[in-house]
Amino acid sequence: MKILFTLCFLFPLAALAQTTLSGKITDDKGEGVPGANVVLEGTYDGGTSDAEGRFQFTTTEQGPHVLVVSFIGYKEYRKAVALEGSPIVVDARLEETINELEAVTINAGAFTASDASRRTVFRALDIATTAGATADIAGALNTLPGTQKVGESGRLFVRGGDSNETRTFIDGMLVLDAYGPSAPNTPSRGRFLPFMFKGVSFSTGGYSAEYGQALSSVLALDSRDETAMTRTDIGILSVGADVAHTQAWEGGSVAAKVQYTNIRPYFGLINQRIDWKTAPASIEGIGAFRQKVGKQGMVKVYGNFNHADYSLYSHDIDDYNHSTVYDLTNNYRYLNGFYKNVLNEKWNVRGGLSYTSIENNTWTGLDHTVETQKGLHAKTVFEGSLSDKAELRTGVEVIQRNYDQVNDLHVGQDYTLSFQELITAGFAEMDLYTSNAFVMQGGLRSEYNSLNKKFSVDPRLSLAYKTGKSSQIHFAYGAFRQTAKNELVRIDHQLGAEKAEHFILNYQVMENNRTLRLQAYYKRYRDLVKYVNGDPLQLANTGDGYAKGLEFFWRDNRSVRNLDYWVSYSYLDTQRDYLDSPYRATPSFASAHNFSVVTKYFFTDIRSQLGLTYSYTSGRPYNNPNTETFNGGKTPYYSDLSVNVSYLPKPYIIIHLSCTNVLGRDNIFGYEYSTSPDAQGIFNSRAIRQPATRFLFLGIFITLSKDKSTNQLPTL
Amino acid sequence: MKPIMFTYRLLVLFTLVFPAAVLAADDKYTETMQKNINIVYTATAPAELQNAVNTLERVGAAEKSKWEPFYYASFGYVMMANKEKDGAKKDAYLDQAAAALAKAQALLPNDSEIVAMEGFIQMIRINVDPASRGQQYSGLATQNFRKAISLNPENPRALALLAQIQFGTAAFFGSPATEACATNTQALEKFETSKPADALAPRWGKGMAESMKEKCK
Repeated sequence: MKILFTLCFLFPLAALAQTTLSGKITDDKGEGVPGANVVLEGTYDGGTSDAEGRFQFTTTEQGPHVLVVSFIGYKEYRKAVALEGSPIVVDARLEETINELEAVTINAGAFTASDASRRTVFRALDIATTAGATADIAGALNTLPGTQKVGESGRLFVRGGDSNETRTFIDGMLVLDAYGPSAPNTPSRGRFLPFMFKGVSFSTGGYSAEYGQALSSVLALDSRDETAMTRTDIGILSVGADVAHTQAWEGGSVAAKVQYTNIRPYFGLINQRIDWKTAPASIEGIGAFRQKVGKQGMVKVYGNFNHADYSLYSHDIDDYNHSTVYDLTNNYRYLNGFYKNVLNEKWNVRGGLSYTSIENNTWTGLDHTVETQKGLHAKTVFEGSLSDKAELRTGVEVIQRNYDQVNDLHVGQDYTLSFQELITAGFAEMDLYTSNAFVMQGGLRSEYNSLNKKFSVDPRLSLAYKTGKSSQIHFAYGAFRQTAKNELVRIDHQLGAEKAEHFILNYQVMENNRTLRLQAYYKRYRDLVKYVNGDPLQLANTGDGYAKGLEFFWRDNRSVRNLDYWVSYSYLDTQRDYLDSPYRATPSFASAHNFSVVTKYFFTDIRSQLGLTYSYTSGRPYNNPNTETFNGGKTPYYSDLSVNVSYLPKPYIIIHLSCTNVLGRDNIFGYEYSTSPDAQGIFNSRAIRQPATRFLFLGIFITLSKDKSTNQLPTL
Repeated sequence: MKPIMFTYRLLVLFTLVFPAAVLAADDKYTETMQKNINIVYTATAPAELQNAVNTLERVGAAEKSKWEPFYYASFGYVMMANKEKDGAKKDAYLDQAAAALAKAQALLPNDSEIVAMEGFIQMIRINVDPASRGQQYSGLATQNFRKAISLNPENPRALALLAQIQFGTAAFFGSPATEACATNTQALEKFETSKPADALAPRWGKGMAESMKEKCK
């Protein structure tokens, strides 16, 4: 200021031409905004607002100018001013912009894990490091509320829904059957390895109109945009080996991975309850290509093939010495092409094409069945802003599925069951913000199904309100439909879609690495497929059901240094009248109480992480044909304590050891009964148990790259 | 998994030696810039930094073709991020640092100093949540430091920052910091030999290298 005065003194002419500008910058609520940048456009002159939002500066500029006030999180404020020497007072009221970091979010029922977003409850890395999950996406998600653990399946069962009611999407494109083949009553693993994805969004209900053909849940995987580094990863596992290479260049990358899994040597060491003829072995290849197009465009191609086989002796329940050979060969191919680009300042386009081909070649004794399913999904979505408070998302898609089951029987007539389904769908969804604190999302999804020739429109609605700086409450409603399972549609092509309605209320507080989430929901099922008079060959959409529940989630990685843990609890009350149920009954995959505690502790001195996961699932119903009540039996509870240790001896080497069920509990998942009664009129039974009490896994992962501090941590 | 937890914060905070020599200003641009560059090098109060950063942004907007105002605005935001304890706010400053740097980068692509700054921002990101970010951001930062060195092997800041990352990794694995210290020695040599291209060229970072030299003893 002193210099200024001196200058004024020396050059009185200039002093005459000086104009002082001052004023106060406030936000919508009238509170002062400190730190805002006030500028005379095109000049150096301006100032910064102080702690109260006040600013003042002088300028020697003259004539008409524009005063611009800017601050992050607010819209730019512009005002024309005439600089003539007399002081000018400008009080600017800034309007907040709806910004991703501050705004309330629509997230009822969704757990989003992402590298990019900083407001995630669940991170991509969590999938790899959860004890008991064995780096399986479904395994890790099964420790979250909303899921019911079904140990013999390994799949995701959400809020009283069957596992087929959860659909997987990669970059928005549908995946038909996201699980690898498994022997009867043994858990299957997801086909997609967590490390290929930068984001995992797991919604347990009330999801966007963009997703259709899913009654209960959507698992949306978002593949990496680009891999930044050229590197080679080698894994030596107790059950096989894998090698991956990524070649990166400016704006793009290509990655390939080959994985060979063979459980045979392991099964030779550890006794299994399954009588394998040849234990499972598989070879898998994954390829990914990413390329930036123009400034903001992106093309991604992701492909995956898998060949797996095994055979086992299936022993008769009544007579163990009588067994049948069951032999399965599975071939799987998935190819996904994705494109996104910016159309103009306000609109984006993204779209893609996915192709899935599954072939299951099975021999049951001398009967041969070949089941093939081929699916094609094409989708284009436009996203843009109608104004700064309204966003529109609209798109069209077609899903074509061809299904064949060719039965070549040793005794009896050979037959083929097949169908072709074409679903044409369109959706539109709008987000309306009144402020950063309130958002309403409304959407409609229409579908036309070529098989039953039905046209449908389903609404979706979400309201979210920010109750505090880091808490929000959210209500979601949605109507959902899904074509019945293949084994039903192949019998009756005219079957209508099965339907569900979700009502979800969610409260969440997220602060400083602590998250609390409470949810309550009610779900209504209609038009479930049911056997007419108990005859599985006569089907009708006459079934129905409900599910309701309460869920709790708490995560804290702040209170204790180096300790990260989460606790989830789900209560579920569900009944459905479908398939062979004579009346409404709790299905065998549903359990009332699910509880999980996942802990991860890092020992800095020995550079090791210890993970402990405890899971509890209350007893599940099973049907005992020797009693009157349908699904009247109840299994003992399930419990499991799993441990894993990851050790980093060198920056580029990780040694990983994990063991499930360390306490060795003999979990029983249910009972199988013989199809006909014995001489005394009793149906004999056999318990469905874990194939082995424990599963031990040892892996050594080595990363070779120019930068030696890189390792496979995020991929494990 | 809690990967590599570096302790950049301490290293960075105290060690930015500001250039002693302020050359005579020959025009309004250089004068304004020098004044504010000095502030982002030396200021500790957030309001003071914000003020300088705002001025730099104003100069950048008015000049349209100069990269320096955005580069130093970015540096100012990194300093603000460094002093901020709250993770979300730290991230917000780093977002602004990255946004300002992107403007510099658009005006001057593939510049060693700008690429090194990009790595610096990524390095500070780790502090917000070392457990989940250490792996990802240390890789990105390292890559940018190496790129900056390949663009200009004489850039002492790129070398000094690379030494920081290497030092953190070595400390975590309990291995000797030989590599980090060698890089740091190189950085110190370059601080002596390389001459700033002009009055506004970056001059910071020597103190960071000097304090590491102490640790390397």
